[in-house]
Amino acid sequence: MKDKKQNEEVVIMFKGKPFKVPPGGSLGVLALGNIGIRAWKKAKKEYQESQKDGE
Amino acid sequence: MANKKRKVLLVGWDAADWKVIDKLMDAGLMPAFKSVVDRGVRGRLATLDPPLSPMLWTSMATGVRPYKHGILGFVEGDNNGAIRPISSHGRKVKAFWNMFTMEGLKSNVVGWWPSNPVESINGVMVSNRFQQEKKGKETIDLEDWDLEPGNIYPESMTERLSELRIHPSEITGNLVMPFVPRAIELDKKEDKRLTVIAKFLAHSASLHAACTELIDTTEWDITAVYHDAIDHFSHAFMKFNPPRMEGMDEEAYDLFKDVVKGAYVYHDMMLERLLSQIDDDTTIMIVSDHGFHSDHLRPTHVPQVPSGPAIEHAPYGIFVAAGPGIKKGEEIYGASILDVTPTLLTMYDLPIGRDMDGKPLLDIYEEKKEVKYIDSWEDDERFGGEIVVAEQVDERTNEAALQQLIDLGYIDDLAIKDGQDGDKIREAQLKATVKENNFYLAKSYASGGEFDDALELLLELEDRAKPDFRYLIEIVNASVKTKRFPLAEEYINYIRKDKLMADNFLDILEAKVQIGLNKPGEALKLLESATKNYPESPNVLIDLGKILNTLRESEKAKGVFLEAIRIDPDNPYAHHGVGAAAMAEEDYETALEYFLNAIDRFYQYPLAHLHLGETLAFMKEYELAKSSFEVVATIAPTLPKTYRWLYDLNEITGDTEKAKHYKSIIAEFDLGERMVITGLPGKELNDVLQQLKESDRSIFGADDLLGNDLDVTDQEWLEKIKEDLIYIPLGFIGSLPSFYSYRILFVEESIEGVTDFFNKRMKLRAGTFNKEMIEAVERQERVGRTWLNQQPNLDIIYIHQGEELNSELVQKFISN
Repeated sequence: MKDKKQNEEVVIMFKGKPFKVPPGGSLGVLALGNIGIRAWKKAKKEYQESQKDGE
Repeated sequence: MANKKRKVLLVGWDAADWKVIDKLMDAGLMPAFKSVVDRGVRGRLATLDPPLSPMLWTSMATGVRPYKHGILGFVEGDNNGAIRPISSHGRKVKAFWNMFTMEGLKSNVVGWWPSNPVESINGVMVSNRFQQEKKGKETIDLEDWDLEPGNIYPESMTERLSELRIHPSEITGNLVMPFVPRAIELDKKEDKRLTVIAKFLAHSASLHAACTELIDTTEWDITAVYHDAIDHFSHAFMKFNPPRMEGMDEEAYDLFKDVVKGAYVYHDMMLERLLSQIDDDTTIMIVSDHGFHSDHLRPTHVPQVPSGPAIEHAPYGIFVAAGPGIKKGEEIYGASILDVTPTLLTMYDLPIGRDMDGKPLLDIYEEKKEVKYIDSWEDDERFGGEIVVAEQVDERTNEAALQQLIDLGYIDDLAIKDGQDGDKIREAQLKATVKENNFYLAKSYASGGEFDDALELLLELEDRAKPDFRYLIEIVNASVKTKRFPLAEEYINYIRKDKLMADNFLDILEAKVQIGLNKPGEALKLLESATKNYPESPNVLIDLGKILNTLRESEKAKGVFLEAIRIDPDNPYAHHGVGAAAMAEEDYETALEYFLNAIDRFYQYPLAHLHLGETLAFMKEYELAKSSFEVVATIAPTLPKTYRWLYDLNEITGDTEKAKHYKSIIAEFDLGERMVITGLPGKELNDVLQQLKESDRSIFGADDLLGNDLDVTDQEWLEKIKEDLIYIPLGFIGSLPSFYSYRILFVEESIEGVTDFFNKRMKLRAGTFNKEMIEAVERQERVGRTWLNQQPNLDIIYIHQGEELNSELVQKFISN
């Protein structure tokens, strides 16, 4: 399970499959526990930074 | 030292209920849970009374009842004269994490209720307040959300775990949508129902994140995680769950009907993640402390008393276990929440304390498991961890946790309003808390069969100046159980006089007293009236059925119990009632079926095991009968009848060593042998009694054929009779206590002889025919004979005429 950046989206691997982590989160992300929450916090941060960059 | 390769993941879901889960599994909505069920065993965990979660989860973690472990409610007094949420300070015995620490095993314990402050165990402990975002009444902003001391052990883990918490303000609309698809129509900030969903979700996500982190990053032998979210979701939203309850607003129903389903599905998703983290060598156990009514048994009204919402709890939680050495696809029966810790100990080949109230669930194993025992884990002085922060919790954090309990309806609002004397109010709150916890302690005693202790405490607590109907009910119940009938009557009269309870409800209570006073006719009247008012109440129907069984109106009793089963198919007392009715009719096949049903639903039910044993004995299934009586001897060791049966059965099966053993137990409580004369009142019986009266033997009751002077409600009635021979009318024969053995001389009398006796007594013409009286006499005879035939502790001979008294055999029998 490792994080990688794909077109501004955070994606994590779960059971061998990619799992998109939207900045708004999802139940699936919460259910992934530690890896989901870290990825979600990262996605939120990146989203917020991209919003700032766009300003 | 136990084998360190054995790993157990214990998942606690407060209030998880099979009725909900089975429906969702059938619909394919809980695939992860189903995968565990399919490769393991499933069963129900009987809860304890009172069904209050901190008490129950501590019983689960210790294997003992609350009156032993000391956690007695939702709140407790602190050392400064104030109250605080229940904490780990109150626990008086070791929990499994202490035992494992002593054995060098590593435990991760997350969110267990109550576990704050945490303990310095071998492993990691995350307290049940880890996810708390409030201080006092205020919600702490995400940026300022620090973790109080006492929440994490070791402290070095604090930063890493703290960062994994989710604040309710972070829960966005799209996270709530699966629970409330029309959430967009509601104002998230204004609608409290959406706010609580966000809070429950944030709390469970935080605990789950901590748990998954510990599984990934620590070495462990057991990881245990507790989630309260299903309980909280259910209390708030089960009333909206399909099918729509009568009177439920259609719009509200449509908005929130998916919330409970969503909560279970979300837990299944979390479970899927946990399953992905463990290997095939790890055993997984999923448990709940009680169920939650989700169907027609949902109460329409929650009482406005402390812990009132517990009325929504159903009496069985869930149990699932899967892993190496555990059976696959099977169901286990008779498990209790008290059995969780003993079972965990067997998984590591660790000994079970003989002072534990629970038993290991050995039926889960594919192969026979050898169980080790020690007297108590409490005597072991090895280090098992200690509380790391003493009394340092911020007062506002306590307030916040208390506020959560107020919001859930478990405790009364504690706010001190402007102009009020804060010290006085705090003192009153503390007093009320101590009193309430003592009430739960009394209920716990009663639940464990310690009725004398329960009654003593209840009488101390009861305050005539502030009558509380809950205390009064328990006083009457405990008085009846301890055969203090005058006391029970005193309280019934007091309640009735001061109108402290609805008459119908009081009738039900009074009926129990009348049963104890051996006045089943009076009890029947009261209960028939109550049944008309509460036709859908299984408890009222069960009380009525019990009376009918006492009166040996077996067919009617069966009908009433079957009606109770229709309303509540899982009620063990209703199943037992059908079995008892069938047993009285000597229909042993039916009795067997229903006693097994009762035991399946409530294993710790001594009477059901006892009657099952008797039924099996009458069916000549002696070995199976012995097993049933052995269970009774374990769960209710003070029932003397059990040992008489075990002695008799081991004699029959030629197991002389065991027979000798049980004979020695009988000798410890046996009060000796009594010679009893019985029969239906009539000329023959009168002849026999008068002949005996004229002999050199002293006789009790010879001139009291109807037993008017006999008071079998007195606990020591038989001990008080000092005569050699005792006459007991056949109608009272079932009152003979099992602490004695008996020789019975049964004087046969024709029904005509009995009616003749009564007609003469009533100064009516001899031969007057009274159909009702004959039916009553016939029933009494049938009841008496059946009872006599079913007892293990008596020898009996029958005579038909007074003259037979002089035969050598009878004389020898009487004078032996």
